[in-house]
Amino acid sequence: MRIYVTGYGVISSVGENSEENLLALRSEKTGIKQGKKTYTERFKVGEIHWSNDELVQRFNLTQHASRTAILGMIAAKEAFNGHLLDPEIKTGLISGTSVGGMDVSEIAYKDFLSGESDDLNVYKNHPSGTTSEQIAKELGIDGYVNTISTACSSAANSIMLGARMLLSGQLDRAVVGGTDGLSQFTIAGFRSLMIFDEEWCRPFDETRKGINLGEGAGFLVLETEETIKKTGKKPLAILAGWGNASDAYHQTASSPEGYGATLAMKSALSVAGLKPDDIDYINAHGTATPNNDLSESHGIKTVFGSSIPPFSSTKSYTGHTLAASGGIEAVFAILALNKGLLLPNLNFKQAIEETGLVPVKSYSEGNDIKHILSNSFGFGGNNSTIILSKV
Amino acid sequence: MSDLKENLKAQIIEQLNLEDLTPADIQDDAPLFGDQGLGLDSIDALEFIVLLDSNYGIKIADPSEGKEIFHSVNTLADYISKHQ
Amino acid sequence: MYFIQHIESITHQDSFQKENIWNELKPLAGENELISPDYKNYIPVAALRRLSTILRMGITAAKACQEKVPAEFDAISVGTALGCLTDTEKFLVTINTVSGDVLSPTAFIQSTHNTIAGQISLDLKNHAYNMTHTQNALSFEVALKDGLLCIDEGKHSVLVGAADEAIPFLERLRGSLIETTYPFTSGATFMVLSGEKGNSIASIRACNVSFSDKHTETQVEQFLEANHCSLQDVDLILEAGFDFKSKAKNHISFPEYTGFYQSASAFAVHMANDWLINHVNDSRILIVNNLELNKLGLTLISRNEVEA
Repeated sequence: MRIYVTGYGVISSVGENSEENLLALRSEKTGIKQGKKTYTERFKVGEIHWSNDELVQRFNLTQHASRTAILGMIAAKEAFNGHLLDPEIKTGLISGTSVGGMDVSEIAYKDFLSGESDDLNVYKNHPSGTTSEQIAKELGIDGYVNTISTACSSAANSIMLGARMLLSGQLDRAVVGGTDGLSQFTIAGFRSLMIFDEEWCRPFDETRKGINLGEGAGFLVLETEETIKKTGKKPLAILAGWGNASDAYHQTASSPEGYGATLAMKSALSVAGLKPDDIDYINAHGTATPNNDLSESHGIKTVFGSSIPPFSSTKSYTGHTLAASGGIEAVFAILALNKGLLLPNLNFKQAIEETGLVPVKSYSEGNDIKHILSNSFGFGGNNSTIILSKV
Repeated sequence: MSDLKENLKAQIIEQLNLEDLTPADIQDDAPLFGDQGLGLDSIDALEFIVLLDSNYGIKIADPSEGKEIFHSVNTLADYISKHQ
Repeated sequence: MYFIQHIESITHQDSFQKENIWNELKPLAGENELISPDYKNYIPVAALRRLSTILRMGITAAKACQEKVPAEFDAISVGTALGCLTDTEKFLVTINTVSGDVLSPTAFIQSTHNTIAGQISLDLKNHAYNMTHTQNALSFEVALKDGLLCIDEGKHSVLVGAADEAIPFLERLRGSLIETTYPFTSGATFMVLSGEKGNSIASIRACNVSFSDKHTETQVEQFLEANHCSLQDVDLILEAGFDFKSKAKNHISFPEYTGFYQSASAFAVHMANDWLINHVNDSRILIVNNLELNKLGLTLISRNEVEA
């Protein structure tokens, strides 16, 4: 049985819907710039211009919530636009997030620490699970709601779980993806790990130093063949394969040879029934940390041997949006499938000496692209791969 | 210098939560990292950077510089006395 | 059927590595503390020094499970409602109190929800499917449903668990955001599930979650009907609240034993499994997780011989 994508939505620093994101990809314009908010102004970040209140207004949201939940609502609403709720179509929502509503609770907690009175009501937005419940409520979904929290692979894992829930017949339709707002907590966290680049990030480049953080959300609507017969929706892509494996190497670092990454890619290929040769483009995890890009490069070499397909990391556009990245990049993959795009890896100059791999350097359209493999690796060694195919 | 080393040992125990150790358990020249030594890892290396910053005002911008500096209490003490 | 091969819990009860936890269980009263095993027996000292309570509990319960079953886990699914609160709070304090640019990273690294499942895989050198679910009071149930799905897909030895830890800060939210009269507690329950019977006594028949305002009793009736039985066939109801007290043959409100943590329904599975060992005439137990309004988790557990 095939799993079809019948809707997608995205918001990131390069655009507030999929059309705007496509335009930015096409013009090779990064969304990463000097931050504008108090907690981002010292850094280069992939920040969405609007404040929470402005976002709620612009997108006619019914709830005030954390930035993570708000961004999720916006992308999920775009994805679900034109889809109708129907008691006959069991619909679930699975969203990934790394720190949930931390962006608002950290402000209240700061007041608490400094002895000022904190608004206790703010903490209701904190739990990661609550962000998904709020997104589900915005769409009117009340059956199965779930949140995946596996750091940077969360959205990819949500997409994977949605497909499995559909295949098992527990759901007919699933809204799946991930969301993360920028927070002082994650900025300070990645800085403390000393993998935070003060300059523009350079994925797969010999001189790469680390990530630029970003924020955003990306969601897909998945339906089975049976469901499509009822909804009459046009399939926009096929979710062909998925895989998750544990690197089990180190708390924060990936194994040098990319063992977990290799397992995830192989497992996704096997679910899709495809050979490495069938893949036409890889949207890499490519965070631009010295460790990830080297490890991922070795993993790609192990899986694809000497004929490595065109690959790139679009985190040079959006920054690393953590739990949202797999969702945003899944939307980019669908855009790429349908328009034959190869997406450039901005800021690349010099191949990593040890691997010699050169990513896609410029934007092009009209390529023959049937299958795209997309990687998402979370720390703690949580490695996931999904494969999207042309209908 | 020996005062510095004793202080360092106490600070290492505190910063890295080595509750079961006393300063006397750490030899001046024993490797701190890897299975032969205290078994510390790359997360501890980051904690050493914090330790040097907060206790001695010494900044290390590139974690890869840490490897030689954090080899043992002796190398750490050397580095501190040269850079303070 | 999803057979419960082994189950371990670390809670405020003396529940770890017990033949039958009912020999030890008593309702929590007054001051009580987490009853911790000697974690050094399970976790290398070099790793232990960094680990918060939730990680110690989770890794230890998971390792104790792995010791009891021959096969390596081929999937790991963990649920946690609030995750690693101690490290989260610690890092929040760090970023608000340390003035310089150099911050200690350890609390941040260990603050993410997937540290529990990640550390389990790291410790066991396990490369299998590794998932972390978080859905407030239904965190255990959504993790369990993933575990059951893994078995349907052909996995043989699936580790499913849940863990949460209490921090003093939660007291500030009592009465406003968290309505409970029970003490805030910590707990972890991990179990090995398999499609093969092995030496198991009981099995999980089904698990369902919903997020609607539909009447609880109607949902329970529909759930039981879908599993070919009715309330009359259920010998014990383990419930987060008291809605079914007058309708059940036997009724236990499990927070009286666990205290308040949002994934405590995982411990109710342990209570159910060991109850069936003790009560040879009982065959079906229903866990009703109605801890939070408009969220309902239903888990049906039965003695292995019972048909449907």
